[in-house]
Amino acid sequence: MLVYTGKRILTMVGILLGVLLVTFVLSRILPGSPIEMMLGHRPTLEQIEAARLQMGLDRPIIEQFWLYLVNAFQGDLGTSLRTGRPVLTDVLERFAATFELVTLAILLVVALGIPLGTICALRQDKLVDHSARGFSVLGVALPVFLSGMILQMLFYGYLGWLPLQGRIESDVLLDFEFPVVTGFYLIDSLLDKNPVAFFSALEHLVLPVLTIAIASLAVVTRITRNMMIEALRQEFILTQRAYGLSNWIINFRYAMRAALIPMLTVIGLAYGYMLGGAVVVEFVFDWPGLGAYVVGAITENDYPAVMAVTLCFAGVYLTVNLIIDLLYFLVDPRLQKA
Amino acid sequence: MKLIKKIAVAVATVAIGVSALTAAVPVQAKTNSVTYAMYGDIKDWDPSEAFSLEVMMLVNVYEPLLWYNPPGSEQQFTPALAESWKVSEDGLTWTFNLRQGVKFHDGEPLTAEAAKSSIERTRKLKKGAYYIWGAVSSIEAPETHTLVIKTKEPAPIDLIASSQYGAYIYSPKAAEKGAEWFNQGNAAGTGPYTVRQWKAGQQIVLDKNPDYWGGFDESNFERIYLKVVTENATQVQMLKAGEADFISLVPADQVDSLNNEPGITAKGVPSWKNSQFLINTQKAPTDNKKFRQALTMLWDYDKVVKEIYAGYAEPGKGVVPATMWGHNSNIKTPVFDVEKAKKLVDESGVPADQRKVTMAYIGTSEEYKNSALLFQANAAKAGIEVELKPGKWGAIWKNAKDLRTAPNLQSMTWWPTYPTPNDWMIGLFRTEEKALFNLSHYANSAYDKLVDEGAALEGSDRDAAVAKYAKAQKLLMEDATAIFYADIKGRVAYRSNIVGLQSNPAYAGIFFHRLKRAAQ
Repeated sequence: MLVYTGKRILTMVGILLGVLLVTFVLSRILPGSPIEMMLGHRPTLEQIEAARLQMGLDRPIIEQFWLYLVNAFQGDLGTSLRTGRPVLTDVLERFAATFELVTLAILLVVALGIPLGTICALRQDKLVDHSARGFSVLGVALPVFLSGMILQMLFYGYLGWLPLQGRIESDVLLDFEFPVVTGFYLIDSLLDKNPVAFFSALEHLVLPVLTIAIASLAVVTRITRNMMIEALRQEFILTQRAYGLSNWIINFRYAMRAALIPMLTVIGLAYGYMLGGAVVVEFVFDWPGLGAYVVGAITENDYPAVMAVTLCFAGVYLTVNLIIDLLYFLVDPRLQKA
Repeated sequence: MKLIKKIAVAVATVAIGVSALTAAVPVQAKTNSVTYAMYGDIKDWDPSEAFSLEVMMLVNVYEPLLWYNPPGSEQQFTPALAESWKVSEDGLTWTFNLRQGVKFHDGEPLTAEAAKSSIERTRKLKKGAYYIWGAVSSIEAPETHTLVIKTKEPAPIDLIASSQYGAYIYSPKAAEKGAEWFNQGNAAGTGPYTVRQWKAGQQIVLDKNPDYWGGFDESNFERIYLKVVTENATQVQMLKAGEADFISLVPADQVDSLNNEPGITAKGVPSWKNSQFLINTQKAPTDNKKFRQALTMLWDYDKVVKEIYAGYAEPGKGVVPATMWGHNSNIKTPVFDVEKAKKLVDESGVPADQRKVTMAYIGTSEEYKNSALLFQANAAKAGIEVELKPGKWGAIWKNAKDLRTAPNLQSMTWWPTYPTPNDWMIGLFRTEEKALFNLSHYANSAYDKLVDEGAALEGSDRDAAVAKYAKAQKLLMEDATAIFYADIKGRVAYRSNIVGLQSNPAYAGIFFHRLKRAAQ
């Protein structure tokens, strides 16, 4: 298993390099350069030329890429042309924001989706099953920005229970500032023993987390249901019934285990999907995360930022996949021998 | 449906729980604050480099020597850090007497040396709007509070010193720490507010400067929140709920409906932004003057401003906006007339099979897109085929600079860095060896002479400068160098209990120290 993991990590590095190369070349051959964006609305010829030299845009693309790699290995991903800050600082800060959002959402999805799907499978074609299916269709069909805005209108505009946007209340951020340790506001505020900041952060998480969860909950519920139904049809289940094992043991000890592998895959995919879907949610809720950051970076040809975010997304996606694959071994020990 | 109900109940329970918990936390006494929703964050905190959204922070934290007053004011300037100033007979030496007893936010005193070092640093860095000081030959500080600026040729240093970018005076101690220090969200100006906090991508908080020379009274805002809110829909919800007092994204078609909301004022305000389609004067078939004139008659000026700009624009009257000093109001502007245009096209001698033009504009702009489509339809009536080339600014600008790839018509929205009509006349139409913004590729030595002479007279004899500029504007119109189609109005939306808002096209920022909140 160690060898397997090692091989997988090596492949990951290769894939990441490939992703970097493709992004690098694509961003540079597309029309328009970042210079116009970084110099404000009226650059002089002198400023344009100076910026071109400073960014190394006068050199061949391959040389530029090599320089980029050399710097990247030294931890220097460049300076964002749009925010003027080191890209690494920007990306780490914003990654934490996105990660907090998406992780809570996936936890919510797993916590609700698996039991819900299981119930549907056990009560196949009953009312619960039908309503869950209806909800699934709705969840998948509703665009994220729409469900986000509906939640905003309801809980902010109409009921006034929850905040509209942002990660935390302005006053709280000002008067109850806490040191950034993990970048997760919930954890950092707890570490700081700062209940005001904790609850403000929590309050701000509810709607965006729900918005992301609604879209993925449907998928996870559906897949869990189908996989459970599939598993329950297997012959070994029939054998166990013949042995007279209780329904509880059959359902949750044997059928559930058989259904777990495909479910893990789906959850992994859902996680990736959420990272992508977070772009829109971040826009709707002004969440200072990576999604909103990368959209701005792409529209303004902010090369260093685009590269770093791509690297970050690809890295996370690959890591999640690796973790899921390793979990297979846990769920199904037979795989270790193969 | 049971399930949905259950989920709704669960969500509601969580929501109530969370809000109850938060409500239970004691909140400090409310500071007298005002909130502005910005659609983007600040990039360059260094006042010598800043050239964009920073202006909202700059005008509150820093001060230049002079503020430019809105058009129609009795005086052209309000003294800021300079109490009085004068220019020598030859227009080459400007003497500013600085205000005494003013301190920067870091405690350093305002002296002529400090002002000198700010301006010199801006010039040396060559970032942002440094070029406004191009005419300066030397800066001296003969006495603690006397600043002398000398120029190579006569230049309007009073106007330049009131620029919204590149003219702020800051602490020499801060300058020593450099751009890196500024870019961590630090500032050291003399303005009514200091920077209390910057959380990148989230908010900037400005607090009252208790030592402000202009003083504070009880009704002045003590704190300003500049919140980053990127979506128009979100900004509007915040404004309606009173969570934001000002919003920065006000689409033209929403002004009326916002203004009808209780507690909200939304309206158009004068701006110096204008839009035009520059016509390439060197590329066939638009190298033909009559053909160009025909194009300017195929533009439906009234319909564009009324329908596409929803009334928040006026048809352009030449290159200089009508509210800018030096605008020539006696200029004859083209009128939408397809028949006349047809006649001109025939007279132009451009063969029927060559009556094709390309039109480039920023593709994400609905205004450009719809205006271009309308123009395309009208041009077709006169037998001219218009090929639309939307794109990103970076890409279309690059094409337009090079005659080989340049379109016949190029979109351009322009506004001045400091209040002068020559910003348009020189920036857009003075002959350029290597094209930068003269995307009409217009080269006319008579015109160049007029604007150069005008620029030299701006400092010493503004009326004489205006006369030169008037002739230059007439030339541009006669030569049909562009379709000057819209003087754009700014749009503001804010809570109606905010009083004292005076819009000033010279600055894209709000002077929060001059505002108050009316008692409800």
